[in-house]
Amino acid sequence: MSSETPFRINIPDEKLATLRAKLELATFPDELQDAGWKYGPPLTDMKRLTERWKNGYDWRKHEKELNQELPMFTRDIHVDGYGALNIHYVHKKSKTVDAIPLLFSHGWPGSFLEVKGMLPLLTASSPEHPSFHVVALSLPGFGFSEGPHKPGFALDQYAEVAHKLMLALGYNEYVTQGGDWGFLITRRMASLYGGKHHKAWHTNFPMADPPTWKSPLSFLSYLLTPWSAEEKAGVERTTWYRTKSSGYFVEQSTFPQTLAYGFTDSPVSLLAWFYEKLVIWTDDYKWTDDEVLTWISIYWFSRAGPGAAHRIYFELHGDFYDLGRTGYPTIPMGASYFPKELILLPSAWLRKLNNVVFESHHKSGGHFAAYERPQELVQDVRKMFAKGGPAFAIVPGRSGYA
Amino acid sequence: MSSSESPFQINVPEEKLTTLHAKLELATFPDELEDAGWKYGPPLADIKRLTERWRNEYDWRKHEKELNQELPMFTRDIDVDGFGTLNIHYVHKKSEVVDAIPLLFCHGWPGSFLEVGKILPLLTASSPEHPSFHVVALSLPGFGFSEAPHTQGFALNQYSEVSHKLMLALGYNEYVTQGGDWGSIITRRMASVYGVKHHKAWHTNFPVAEPPSWKSPLSFLSFLLTPWSAEEKAGIERTSWFRSKGYGYFAEQSTQPQTLGYSLADTPVGLIAWIYEKLVLWTDNYQWSDDEVLTWISLYWFSRAGPAASLRIYFELAGDCEDLGPSPTIPMGVSYFPQELIVLPAAWLRRLNKVVFESHHKTGGHFAAIEQPEELVRDVRKMFAKESPAFAIVPGRSGYT
Repeated sequence: MSSETPFRINIPDEKLATLRAKLELATFPDELQDAGWKYGPPLTDMKRLTERWKNGYDWRKHEKELNQELPMFTRDIHVDGYGALNIHYVHKKSKTVDAIPLLFSHGWPGSFLEVKGMLPLLTASSPEHPSFHVVALSLPGFGFSEGPHKPGFALDQYAEVAHKLMLALGYNEYVTQGGDWGFLITRRMASLYGGKHHKAWHTNFPMADPPTWKSPLSFLSYLLTPWSAEEKAGVERTTWYRTKSSGYFVEQSTFPQTLAYGFTDSPVSLLAWFYEKLVIWTDDYKWTDDEVLTWISIYWFSRAGPGAAHRIYFELHGDFYDLGRTGYPTIPMGASYFPKELILLPSAWLRKLNNVVFESHHKSGGHFAAYERPQELVQDVRKMFAKGGPAFAIVPGRSGYA
Repeated sequence: MSSSESPFQINVPEEKLTTLHAKLELATFPDELEDAGWKYGPPLADIKRLTERWRNEYDWRKHEKELNQELPMFTRDIDVDGFGTLNIHYVHKKSEVVDAIPLLFCHGWPGSFLEVGKILPLLTASSPEHPSFHVVALSLPGFGFSEAPHTQGFALNQYSEVSHKLMLALGYNEYVTQGGDWGSIITRRMASVYGVKHHKAWHTNFPVAEPPSWKSPLSFLSFLLTPWSAEEKAGIERTSWFRSKGYGYFAEQSTQPQTLGYSLADTPVGLIAWIYEKLVLWTDNYQWSDDEVLTWISLYWFSRAGPAASLRIYFELAGDCEDLGPSPTIPMGVSYFPQELIVLPAAWLRRLNKVVFESHHKTGGHFAAIEQPEELVRDVRKMFAKESPAFAIVPGRSGYT
């Protein structure tokens, strides 16, 4: 469709200088006694991370590592009503010629970076498991992809970009893996392009509507079925998320630009907002300071700027709260449940409304499953598409085996 | 209880101005979607213009001087049970009328003591035509130049206690109050805890009412059957807008105030955006001058406890907000302004409160004391005027000579 251009991250020196100048001027609030994490990230963490970012953290080293580990490209993708957007993506082919084309879609505050741990595993060849050709895009407005310039870039548009990218790479039929917004986007792809192009989808962020009174039998069984310990814990986690950890969601889906001013002017501001989620949304993941800073630097140095990515919350707000509005996909679905995910609903609800062919329940892991538990997540995806598995050879001629 | 009062003049250290200026020099801005207008937040042009003005033309020292001249200010220590002593900053202006009514004015967020500026000369003015007031306008702990609490759990009872003790410390054993936003919630609690003995009557421009519930069948039925007036419909629309679209700041501030606090403490541009958005959307087409906006925001930037501290009231009072407690029994006055954030049918309020004064305005929003100072003062004067139900409610202090 249009040519592919290799891409290397190469942040201009001037941007590094501006970052340092701002960090030099960083000013901090006070903190209540023994606040811990109760009100937000602790002051000691924030001061330490800021100091490291200013002095000690070597962006060029991490930039070089990313360039070495992740084969990256850009290409123009035309989006109906929005013109051409230049999309940044990782693309790594397996040595197995008939590997399964797989699109990995990140969410917020994630990025293409999240595919790093899984990439060598998904593309690895073996007679024991299927292999994948992996494409991990930066959603428009994230990473090094161009952002939309006009209002209204919503779920259909994100789905269109991702789909057209796969087609442009010659993957007329493909499968997907996604979490967070990646769940919603690949779900929409499944409805729009499913059957013909999109053959199966896997998610670590399974969301489903609860049974309603409109469906009396399942509602009744919902009321009568005693919940398992795992389900109870899931409901507790979901309740915590909805009542205590959703402030960002409400603000981002109503006044994203108000936040954008702070994010764009202050790296400390960005650091606090993101670091809070990296810690409380994961399952005791042992972040190193440099991991955190690399994650946030990608947002700070992103092509569209740190104020653009979270517009997705505003534009897709309606889609998030009304899954039923766009119908339920019929193509085979795989779901991996991690106990520290943010929304954990009884798996029966998912099975009732989706064509769930693969399911796994993990004992550890949180929202950023690809980053926290790459082996477990890859194992799940391999199982789903393995010989004898429920979605084996679902992409004709591309079974993933030699 | 009695501790000494110290006169207070705002005098922001030069170093703070230098730091502010240095940050503004480095200001960097996001892009903006085509024709975004106000849809996603304040327009880029506005924020750039305000940032540039703050960096260059805006003269803090001039406005600081004006505040010091116009508002007689003081500080004093107030002891709060379980929280030690907090040094409280307040405006205190006595009327020439000796027996003026002691009135506490209580601000909210993102307000401040500044909001008393226009109503102060009016409330303290002497006249045979209307009552006069001795006015006290505190900076709530963590706001303006008041010290902030240092430990957790400083909630509604504590804000109420500070305000009450301040009045007592000033020799106002019996007093009335006027408040909006958090000031309404706080003065409501004062009314429950310290009314009738000390707190004699309260007026608010931010009435919080509960809808009639099915538990009270007759009023619920009348609620269902009464056709709503045009004003009530508009009020419900405004309330719906606030609850569905205007709620983001509340959700964040009541769950993770410190996360946001890091931003407001580090970026003056971020602080402008966060507050300016409310100054515009919460008012009724009020024609803010850039300097008005910047003075308002400077008070947060230069506040004693820093802007992050002011957010904690949302977190600490989240539980109180879910259950505000029983309605007070002391006389209540209420002024309805159409662009207030929560505008509910007046009948709901009258059902559970002793409403002795009520007014419905055709214009005005959330910051009534700034937007409609004359109307607000007229309302407060009417509530306590001769022949009014709350006349001379503070014994010996009718407000007339």
